[in-house]
Amino acid sequence: MLRFVRQFSHHLIGYATWLPPLIWFNTYVAQVTFISGPSMYPFLNPQYNESLKRDLCLVYKLYAQWNLERGMVVTFRNPVDPDKITVKRIVGLEGDVIHTRPPYPQPTILVPEGHIWVEGDGDKSKDSNYYGPISHRLVTGRVTHILSPWKRAGRVRWWEHASSRSQP
Amino acid sequence: MSFLFGGLLGHPLRTTLAVGKFLAFTHLFLEYGYSTAPAVGPSMLPTLEILGEWLLISRRHRHGRNVAVGDVVAYNIPINDSFGVKRVLGLPGDYVLLNAPGSGNDSMIQVPQGHCWIVGDNLPASRDSRMFGPIPLALIKGKVIGRIKPFRFERLENPLQTAD
Repeated sequence: MLRFVRQFSHHLIGYATWLPPLIWFNTYVAQVTFISGPSMYPFLNPQYNESLKRDLCLVYKLYAQWNLERGMVVTFRNPVDPDKITVKRIVGLEGDVIHTRPPYPQPTILVPEGHIWVEGDGDKSKDSNYYGPISHRLVTGRVTHILSPWKRAGRVRWWEHASSRSQP
Repeated sequence: MSFLFGGLLGHPLRTTLAVGKFLAFTHLFLEYGYSTAPAVGPSMLPTLEILGEWLLISRRHRHGRNVAVGDVVAYNIPINDSFGVKRVLGLPGDYVLLNAPGSGNDSMIQVPQGHCWIVGDNLPASRDSRMFGPIPLALIKGKVIGRIKPFRFERLENPLQTAD
């Protein structure tokens, strides 16, 4: 019995030493995560109204805050709730003039230095029209691949989605 | 000798893995526990010197957890790629002055949900929320809990006290 406990704890500690490298990898290189909510409907979670299944996505974290482009699907820390990670599409970069949607108070806005304008594809989205332009420092990653469901699996072709509502 | 080459350095792959695991563990501690950083600049002047400051930062206060008005925090500057150290003057719901007192403009705003208002102690020489507005709490890296001096450590206390 004692030998069993000793061996078991030995293996447990052996596996536990792999946790820090895993956390490092998930923070700085790549992470596989489920997308929840309808804010990117119909691009992500198109089955939102029909089933409880969620899309599984690959989020690439390396140099996430560098070379952001219009159309990219990014994950970022929610400016309203710092413990939440949100996924939206970049509509405008710094210096762009955006034609906003309600409930934003002004009809157009110039995106300030170091900030981006993010919006969800769907109607049920609390995005920059709700909390304004966000700092690029909040960005944690880019959604590069859809892994599941199998039918839509593949690379996220974000460059086909650059919005026409922003003017550089 | 046989201990070194037989056990510790015997297998190059095993040694590399052990070093990598150790680095990852160190990173975990520096990211979620405590970290140190140099502070340069005149913006916090009576509290921190212009040069030669090393700060101990509690990363357990990351994303504004348990941060109170009056605490000195390290934060990611929202408009560029570096980090700064400032004092928290307002938390969500608080009313703060948009400009420095005595600047002739006494307009105020309410700090929005999930944000905070940070200002340097040296008002004329500080670029802070008066310039770029309230910052999201998610940009706060941690609370500055002390200064590391050669052979001594000075705690940084919150100077605010509750009124009797």
